[in-house]
Amino acid sequence: MSLTSLEKFYKPTNSSELVSLLNDYEDSALILAGGSFIHGLAARDLLWGVQALIDIRGMGLTGVSEDSANYQIGATTRLIDLARTSLFNTNPAFAAIADALTYPPKQILNVATIGGNIATACPFFDLPTALLALEADLQIEGTNGARDISLREFALSPFENVLGSNEFLSRIMVPKTNANKASAFLKLETNANDLALVNVAASLSLDSRGNCCNVRIALGGGVAGTPVRALAAEQLMENQSPSEELFKEAGELVLGDIDPISDHRASAAYRSAMAKVFTTRSLQRSYQRVLKVQGNSI
Amino acid sequence: MKQLITLKVNNDQYEIAANPWETLLSVLRDQLGLNSPKRGCDAGGCGCCTVHIDGGAVYSCMMFAHSAQDCEITTVEGISKGKSLHPLQEAFIDKGAVQCGYCTSGILMSAKQYIDEGGGSEEKQIRQSLSGNLCRCTGYQKIVDAVKSVAENKIA
Amino acid sequence: MGNKLNTRVVGTRMRRPDALDKVTGGRGYVFNMKLNGMLYGKMLRSMYPHARILSIDTSAAEKLPGVKSILTAKDVPSKAFAPIYIKDMYSDGVRDVRVLDNVVRYTGEPIAAVAATTLDIAEEAIKLIDVEYEELPHYFNMHDAIREGATQINREFENNICLSPVIEEGDLERGFAEADHIFENTYSTHRVHTCYMEPWMSIADASADGKVTIHSSTQHVFGLREKLAYILDIPLSDISVIKPHYIGGGFGSKTEISSAEPLAVILSQKTGKPVRMENSREEDFITNARTPMEVTLKTGVKNDGTITAREIHVIADCGPYATYGPEAMMICALGGAYTTYRCKNRKFTGQAILTNNMRAGAYRGIGGVQGCFATESQIDEICETLNLDPIEFRLKNAHQAGDPNPITDVFTPGAFKLESYRYEECLREGSAQSGFHKRMPAGSSQGSKKRGIGMASQPLWVSGCVGFPDIPEQSGAIVRINPDGTASLSIPTIDIGSGQITTMCQIAAEELGLKADQVKMNYHLSSDILPFEPPTHASRATYSAGNAVKKAASQAKQRILEIAASMLEANSEDLEIQEGLVFVKGVPARRLSVAEIAQYTESALVQLTPESIKKGKIEDKGTILCTASAAPQSNPSTPCAMFVEVEVDTDTGEVSVLEVTYAHDIGKVINPTSAEGQVEGAVQQGIGFTLMEHMQFDQDTGACLTSNFLDYKMPTAVEMPSKINCIFIESIEPTGPFGAKGLGETPLIVPAPAIANAVYNATGVRIRSLPITPEKILTALEKL
Repeated sequence: MSLTSLEKFYKPTNSSELVSLLNDYEDSALILAGGSFIHGLAARDLLWGVQALIDIRGMGLTGVSEDSANYQIGATTRLIDLARTSLFNTNPAFAAIADALTYPPKQILNVATIGGNIATACPFFDLPTALLALEADLQIEGTNGARDISLREFALSPFENVLGSNEFLSRIMVPKTNANKASAFLKLETNANDLALVNVAASLSLDSRGNCCNVRIALGGGVAGTPVRALAAEQLMENQSPSEELFKEAGELVLGDIDPISDHRASAAYRSAMAKVFTTRSLQRSYQRVLKVQGNSI
Repeated sequence: MKQLITLKVNNDQYEIAANPWETLLSVLRDQLGLNSPKRGCDAGGCGCCTVHIDGGAVYSCMMFAHSAQDCEITTVEGISKGKSLHPLQEAFIDKGAVQCGYCTSGILMSAKQYIDEGGGSEEKQIRQSLSGNLCRCTGYQKIVDAVKSVAENKIA
Repeated sequence: MGNKLNTRVVGTRMRRPDALDKVTGGRGYVFNMKLNGMLYGKMLRSMYPHARILSIDTSAAEKLPGVKSILTAKDVPSKAFAPIYIKDMYSDGVRDVRVLDNVVRYTGEPIAAVAATTLDIAEEAIKLIDVEYEELPHYFNMHDAIREGATQINREFENNICLSPVIEEGDLERGFAEADHIFENTYSTHRVHTCYMEPWMSIADASADGKVTIHSSTQHVFGLREKLAYILDIPLSDISVIKPHYIGGGFGSKTEISSAEPLAVILSQKTGKPVRMENSREEDFITNARTPMEVTLKTGVKNDGTITAREIHVIADCGPYATYGPEAMMICALGGAYTTYRCKNRKFTGQAILTNNMRAGAYRGIGGVQGCFATESQIDEICETLNLDPIEFRLKNAHQAGDPNPITDVFTPGAFKLESYRYEECLREGSAQSGFHKRMPAGSSQGSKKRGIGMASQPLWVSGCVGFPDIPEQSGAIVRINPDGTASLSIPTIDIGSGQITTMCQIAAEELGLKADQVKMNYHLSSDILPFEPPTHASRATYSAGNAVKKAASQAKQRILEIAASMLEANSEDLEIQEGLVFVKGVPARRLSVAEIAQYTESALVQLTPESIKKGKIEDKGTILCTASAAPQSNPSTPCAMFVEVEVDTDTGEVSVLEVTYAHDIGKVINPTSAEGQVEGAVQQGIGFTLMEHMQFDQDTGACLTSNFLDYKMPTAVEMPSKINCIFIESIEPTGPFGAKGLGETPLIVPAPAIANAVYNATGVRIRSLPITPEKILTALEKL
């Protein structure tokens, strides 16, 4: 890879420095954290004319904190640090995040960041699907101050997001939950260290009668230009008694919310079929986890 | 335009002039003359370029040299102590885990993080820890055996 | 594994002498090399699969600072050549390739080259070259390329077929008439890449006096030398190809010349500087590939399983030039159904077809892989249909030890025999260890995750190329005994990863009576001094090169004993060498070390000591330096069988390979660790070939879609089975060094049909085209 148009490399230490750089360079600067998908972007000819790289890992946007409503993850928090955060690897509510982090090899986990992973808007990535099912929000900062949007609104199409040329992603907020909730994430790949052919994240709770509630299903991989929520399937399951048949029916219903691609990796027909299978399996896994949570709280 | 950067590699400091687009791999090989990190694909797909940044395995072909400032960079040249080989290097020789050897340096660095972090002798975990490295000659079997033997000795 | 021959070094798990270097950084790869003043070369490659080049404008590229030379077709010889190394220099295959041409015939074909002071500048310059193309009709499908009226692709062949062999024997019609059942099926294989890890690269250094030195990650110093001499009209003896210490994999890809090497030489000649030309991984993927084939197999069998007739038709996709395509096609049949089982009534017809796809190269098990997939899948189908035992069926039709060698017999009847041949044991022991006979009926297991076991065998293969037309098979070796008691071994065999360095040191040490670490491989060699041999290919190294090493070592041993006899005043027949010491047999006190003997041969005739004047014998003086260059005596076969257990997830179509058992008669195992390593590596390549690897191209532009490791799916450690059981049946091959035969390719020939048959056993669905993808399985199960 040869980004020979690059002229300068910056490492700002605070957001006003960064914003000033973004104003100067407008569209010809690229914000970089781990940088592990730079080559993927270059190969797709998306970095044409980039003159400056801005490494934002020195701006203190690393780490997990919380307020009353959310867990807040700094955009430059590395995937490996997320994987090591006990909140995400012991609380079944956030198991989808832990699941998603079991797939990448160490070489990616050690450098890739949650912010970069989301900002790339690659439809084949895993964390965005998991976070979508967990209804994550994002904080964006820029010349005009800060704004919050839901993750659902962030990716517009493959490798295109809503960030203006003088904006950057600073924080990811994952809502806290009181309910007995569990989530799961599964990925279909041909070999390890692969992009998803299909990935599905599910999250659900059980109400006092043992019926499904607050069901969230998200799909990614090649099933659409961006990860999507399977709203029809979610609505089907609301207040229903959990069962194999219900999970299978939900799987069937996701078809209406996806528009899979055919490429050299898989056909749309296969992706559709697998979207169903993996939706069912994600729901099954979430359900098993929720039962355990319930069992523990008795 | 080349900028001067300082890199700390295998406990030595080097002042290097590097263009912003130069990768850590090309600087390590071409400017510092290190043989171990190798170009296999230049795209983070094969792992032949794997080195450590602050004890963690990374694809040096995917990292800009400028990004690696203020880090402890370790390559295979830095894991043995004088003539004393690292247990992983010994095990690789002993178990026949080296054939053409082109992937070996990268795999040693991935395996080293696994062992340093207390990785166990369970085969599935070892295989998973190697998922970011490709090998075309060995079928990975004796590599797994070698890592396993080191993990077992550490536990013992 | 017994040690019937009582060997001390051969048969041991000697550690590789090159392993220490490789685990501490790996100095010996050509990839590490830099020469003073070196320039970097890069090639511009075609955007179209078939086009005439109307004009090339290099003016903008020439102006880029740092660019030193640019070449297009007008600047290089227009001589056509055969790029493949395996053919005899004197009959070297179809000459249809040019260094640079005015017509391009596959997407990615080189059309210009640049040398610049840095790689970045060379890559920049390439982008500035402006080419005007006139597109021509192109064919990605073999059948389209040979249709009536198709445009001629290659100058040499009007109908886009470069070989249509017909080979037959017996009476086919009668054979089919005798059959109780006739099976006719077509099996197809696809394009995969060798994926050597060290990039294809060379550094050419042309000096002012016309001599050329070249370093290259190659499998053959002589082939490279010969082709360069031919293409560039330089005397052979003015080209020095430096032998690499070892290379980072080749698997057959690097047994041919590309445009890169002649271009690097010409750029060096023009600039007066060394020129390094290396492929990016994207370029490496499109160098050459395994030849895709469609094999139609018609087999007549009796109720009792006797094969009565075989008709084989093979079509092969060579790409736009013959290259290895015709070879692969011939071996598909002649190393497959035409010979592997006994059958007097047989016919093979083939068409090696030219298309605008990428070039066919040599890849481990060339042709045999494709042939075995067809042959062994069909046997499974026959046995399932007729309810015959797959092991007994094979044995019923098998060749026997002492039979004429069926493969070499096609060309030279009666020349060679199957001397060592323990095929039956491969089948029986492999079956017993794998639990093959305990397998369930096909598709019968309950649940969505279904397990099955399948098997395949390759009853015949080669140890080198003795007996094959136009393919040389001889090896040489130089053994020098050093004053420190070690032996230096100089051989042309390049270690491509399989462990040839180790094997040859073990053979030499065994023969010489030295300890394993007393034989040192000489790494500083070139085509100038080395005896000729063919490439490191065709499972030839252990058998053929090993024989030459043994021969040279034997001569050196004789000389050592002669000198020792002279020094000890004994008869050389009464002496033996063990672990570097020469004894009078039975009188261990009367001995000399090899070091002392070698020192004596290289020291003065008259020596003064404080006590006396010692005078040696003139005839004892002179370095002990022995060479051998000879063809091996035969072409022994190395039968094998593989048993694979899989689990198929019938909801997703995913196939997991759980366990592999492999039995192989390779004669004496020189180094068990290396032998196992060959099998284990082949299992990775076999799983990849069968289940996930696939070179794919845009069907409009011909651009490669899978020229990186993210899109080209190769098995990682995660996809490998947790157990690979190796059973080596040690027949003793009388013509082999310490009884050894070949090994490298056979373990890659059998996995595809073994896995396909296992998938059938698990699910009841038969897939006859590779790769066996989840989609194909679900489609066959009618779930998609």
